[in-house]
Order: sequence, then structure tokens, then C-alpha cells
Amino acid sequence: MNLREFRRILLQALYFPILLLLLLAGFFLQQVGVWSKLQQSIAQMDLVATQLANLQSQIVEQAAGVRGYELTHRRLMLRPYERAKAGVAVDFADLRTQLRGNPVQLQLLERLSDQYDQWLVSAQGILDLGPEAVPDPEVYEHDEALMNGIRATVNALQQNERERRAILSEQMPDLEHRQFVQILSASLCIAMAMALFMRHRLKKVSSSYTAALDELEQRSREVQQNQQRYQTTLESIGDAVISCDIRGRVEFLNVIASELSGWSMQDALGRPLTEVFRVVQEDTREPAENPVEEVLSKRKTYSLSERSVLISRLGREYLIDDSAAPVLDAQGEMTGVVLVFRDVTEQRRSEAALIAGEKLAVAGRLAASIAHEIHNPLDSVANLMFLLRDETEPQKRAEYLEMAEQELGRTMQISRTMLSLYREPKSPVKVNLKELIQGVLLLLERRIAQHRIKVISELDEQCMVEGFPVELRQVVTNVLVNAIEAAGERGRMWVRLQPSPPEEFRGAGAVIEVIDSGPGITDFAAEHIFTPFFTTKGDQGTGLGLWVSMGIVQKHGGMIRLQNCGLDDYSGACARIFLPTKTLAGDRRLAAPTV
Amino acid sequence: MPKSLILCIDDEALGLQIRKAVLERAGYRVMTAMDGPTGLGIFAQEAVDAVVLDYAMPTMSGADVAREMRRMRKSVPILLLSAYVNLPAEVMGMVNLTILKGDGPEVLLAKVRELLQEESNPATGEK
Repeated sequence: MNLREFRRILLQALYFPILLLLLLAGFFLQQVGVWSKLQQSIAQMDLVATQLANLQSQIVEQAAGVRGYELTHRRLMLRPYERAKAGVAVDFADLRTQLRGNPVQLQLLERLSDQYDQWLVSAQGILDLGPEAVPDPEVYEHDEALMNGIRATVNALQQNERERRAILSEQMPDLEHRQFVQILSASLCIAMAMALFMRHRLKKVSSSYTAALDELEQRSREVQQNQQRYQTTLESIGDAVISCDIRGRVEFLNVIASELSGWSMQDALGRPLTEVFRVVQEDTREPAENPVEEVLSKRKTYSLSERSVLISRLGREYLIDDSAAPVLDAQGEMTGVVLVFRDVTEQRRSEAALIAGEKLAVAGRLAASIAHEIHNPLDSVANLMFLLRDETEPQKRAEYLEMAEQELGRTMQISRTMLSLYREPKSPVKVNLKELIQGVLLLLERRIAQHRIKVISELDEQCMVEGFPVELRQVVTNVLVNAIEAAGERGRMWVRLQPSPPEEFRGAGAVIEVIDSGPGITDFAAEHIFTPFFTTKGDQGTGLGLWVSMGIVQKHGGMIRLQNCGLDDYSGACARIFLPTKTLAGDRRLAAPTV
Repeated sequence: MPKSLILCIDDEALGLQIRKAVLERAGYRVMTAMDGPTGLGIFAQEAVDAVVLDYAMPTMSGADVAREMRRMRKSVPILLLSAYVNLPAEVMGMVNLTILKGDGPEVLLAKVRELLQEESNPATGEK
């Protein structure tokens, strides 16, 4: 049952009884009308009787006056006669009105009126005789007869009225009884109808109310189960979760969040998030942005800057990785913010160790090349010293010495190169990419020659970028070594360096391209190529080279891409590295840990 | 007794020239080659008594050259010269002796002498 139907039933339950009561009231009124009409009739009969009596007494009074005058001849005796004359006329008029609806009585009244008029004529005759006239017994008898007729008519009229009243009075108890029965029956019927109707409607309302209650209970149970499930889920996940309302007050935190923040659910409830979730920047120790404010202003998921440190209630510090997301209701209105974070202290340490390990591996490989390069001239110098020891011929000695100097110069040059390899400046410096690439190619020359790889290098002079040379050299070495290994025996490599003009989403910079004639990258390798420990070189590789290179390039604000180039002569992989002219890596503290 | 003929193969021109002088000072006849194929050409034509071979060379590595020489004339002793400490076992099996660059001329001459003695030893050599 919906709300509309419910209201309709309630309205019916209100208006139907009112309608029935109105009907009952109408019936009552009708009965009262009947009763009062009867009463009115009786009252009218009483009034007619009184008026008839009054009329009769006035006529009698007139007759008495006439009689008195007849006997005494005194005019004084005629006073009542004169006085009653006008009253009689009025009484007749009144009675005519009263008896208008009753033709029998009206006929009698008219007869009375005629008799009265006859009597008046007779009386007038007597009065006209004068004082000296002797009373005539005949006249007297005539007058008496007339008067008797009047009396008889009045009596008849009154008798009629009395009979009618008696009939009505007899009807009264019957009517009373009938009306009582009718009113009682009507009341009972209406009460019954009302009761039945109300019972039916209320039953309907009651059953739907019970159903609604059941449904509500069911829903409430479901909501409770859902809440329990979500709560258990939130409690069991490995990440820390804190949710807060729109004002940034903590509403919930799971076990992991409790462990990391040092706040129990009871203690944290209702407190400002910034108090429970205290985060500072690892390097500057400045308080980090309030994630709630960031989400409220941006209305989208927000991630804290890298290297954020959570300080627990007990003062312990954790490196964390976190994100904050808005909680939206069905209408899309934001009702709160949920924060998910995890302790990445160990992960960061391992990453740092891995980066350091890869640096060591690169350093080791470079050291082997350098040792080889240095051993050749050193061997020559040792041999020259041996020759010089017993050489007496000045020209030969001079020749040997010159050779020794030459070889020592070469050693010095290699040694200087080696020093510059690991002398990293504290802030970014201008790096000539052409020189850098040439330096790396020089170090790899022997290796390239061993594999008889044909290298074409097209290096633009103008490519200067800001950056950390040691790291950039590590990236270039990595990419070149990969290309050498991929190209294989008698392969080909194409190394290009060219300036890159500014584009919509990036500034100007330089692009290094290394293309090889190897087998290319498989789809599987393409998916994992920048993942740590992924290698296609078996025991020979650490699987960290490209991962570390990616980190370095990204730190410089650049990009690195690997794809199959599909050229006829260069069927293998194409590594493209973009480096911006102005680097983003402004601070040494942000750099990967150095060895 | 005729002077022993030693074939020196190395891609480093200056180093090769100096090594030649050292060996000549010690009384050997020395022929040189700047790469593997040239060296193998000389090896095929001349009665070489011993070979001093550089390991890391472009076009053809010392290991390849040694393998080829063993195929041509198994008896000629080979001294492998390298800057690497750990050489593959397969390579070590193909040469008689090895020497690290930078060990010095005395070691070189001692090892060459050792090679030639081994070669003249009737138990192992043909001569």
C-alpha cells in the first residue's frame, strides 16, 4: 500500500462517518418537524376553543346588555353591548383565519356569523322601540331562540374542536412510540454501517501497517547485515581506512588505521581529521595538505604528495602512500571523505636498496670496462719500463719514453672520465647530451666492436638539458647496453639525438632514440618491461635497469618509451627518451638514493 | 738452435708494437697481426712456435682465434692475454696458459718460456 492509498483510506474513515451522522441528523430533524407540527395543531385547537369561548361570552354580554336595556331602558345598560360589538368582529376575523384549512368548521363559523347578524338585527329592533314600549314576549322569545341557536352553533364548533384534539391526543403516544422506534432503528443502522465500514477500512490500514512494519524490519535487518559486511570488509583489508564527515570530523577508522595512527575508534570519533591523521612532508617537515580540504575544493579523488610521513599519537613515524576520495549520496551531494593509506616504509627501503643495487651493478659493469681500458696502457708502460732498463741507444730510449708518456696520458684520460662518472653535483647542471652519449659509446666501444655491431650515430650539437649527469649516463648506458645485447652479432644500432620543440603538455627538450636490429619486444615483455626484476637476459640481468631508468627520467620530468620500430633495417626495439630543457628534479633530496 | 717464432695478435697497435720489442729483446722472432683473421693467415703459412693472443678483440675474439688454431694445428701452444679476471672455462680449456694485462714483462717472458719448454717436451710436443 502506498502513501496515497493510505491517505485515501484515512480520508474515507473521516468523511464517511460524518456523512452518516448528517443523514441521521436529517432524519432526526424530520421527526422533530412531524412532532412539532402535531403540537402546533393542538395549540391551534386550544386557541380556537379559547377564542370561541371568548366570542360566546362577548355575545352573551351583548345579549345581557340588550336584556338590561329592555327591562330598565337605561342607556347605561347598553355599554357592554357597544363595547363587545367591535371585539366580536375581530374575533370572527381571527377565527376565520384560524379555521381556514377546515371547511366543516368554517361552514359552522359562517353559520354562527349569520346567526349573530340575525340576532343583531333583532336586538336593534328592540333598541329601536324606545323607552316607552312595552316588552313584547314574542320578541323576547325570538331573541331567545336566536341566542339559543348561537349557543348551539358555538357548542357544535367547540365540540368539533374538542373531538379533533382528542383524536390528535390519542395519536400522540403512537407517534411518539413510532418515532422512538424509527430513530432507534436509524441510529442502530447507521452505527452498524459505520462500524462495518470502519472495521473494513481499519483492517486494511492495519494489515498494510503490519506489512510495512515487517518490510521495515526486513530492510533494517538487511541494512544492518550490509553495514556489518562492509565493516568486516573494511576491518579485514590490509589498508588503513579513515572516513570523516563533511566538516572533517572522524566517523570511522579500521584496525590498521588505529594501529598506524595510534588512535582508538572511541578516542578518534568526532575529532578533527588533522588531529588523528597528522602528516608532514618527509624532507621539509612542513605539515602536508589537509586531504579533506583538497577533496572538498576539488570534488575528486586526491593523492597526498609522495614521501608523506604519518606521525602517530605515540610519535612513531611511517612513510605512507595515501589517497582521499569524496563520499557522495544518491543525489551526488558530497557527504564526507574517505581516506585510504598504507605504510610504505619497508617498501621504500626495499626500493631504495634495489636502486642502490642496480647502481652497483651498473658501476660494476662500468668498472670492468674501465679496468680493461686501463690495463692495456698499463701493460704497455710496464713493458716499456722493462725495455728502457737495458736500452742504451738514446734514440730508442727517447722513443720508448714518448710511448710511455702517450700510454700514461691515455690512462689519465680514462681515470678522469671515471672520476667524472661518479662525481655527481648537488643540484642539476647543464648537460651536453651529445658529449654524454659519446662518452658512453666510447666506454662501450670495445663491446660494440666485439659483437661487430655497426653503429650509426646522429647526434645534434644543440641538445643541452638540465639534470644530473651520473644518473643520465646510467640511463643512456642502460639503453645502449640493451640495444647492443638485442642487436647481437653483426647487428645494427642507430643512435639519434635531436632537439624537441615545445608541445601542448610539455616544454622544449631533447629526444634520444636508440634503435636496434634485434628481435624486438614481445607483447609479454612490453607489459612488464618497466617492472622491477623483469629481465629477458636470464642470469645476466638484474631486471632493474629499465625500472631505475624510468625513475630517473621521470624525476627529470621526462618520459621513456619502448616500442617495436618496424623499420626494414631496424626491426628491433626503439627506445625513445624525452628529457626537458628545464628539469623538474630541482632538489637532490628527491633523487634516488646514491651509492 | 734457430730462434723460436712467436705470433702476437692484438688490436691495440701500440701495445702490440711494445710487446714485440720486449719479446725480441728476449731473443725471439716475432710476427704481429692486428686482428684474428690476419693472425690466422700468418699461422697457416708460418711455422709458428707459440702464440700470444689478446682475448678482447673486435671482428674475432681471442677465443674464436684459439678455437680455429686448435683446429688447424693442435700442438702450437697459446698464451691468452686478457684484462678480465674470470674467463669462461671453455676458453681456458683451449689455451695453454693465460696472463693478465698489467702483470708485467717478466711474467710474460716467463710464461712464454714455459710455453716453449712445454712444446719441446717430448711427452706433449711433436718435436
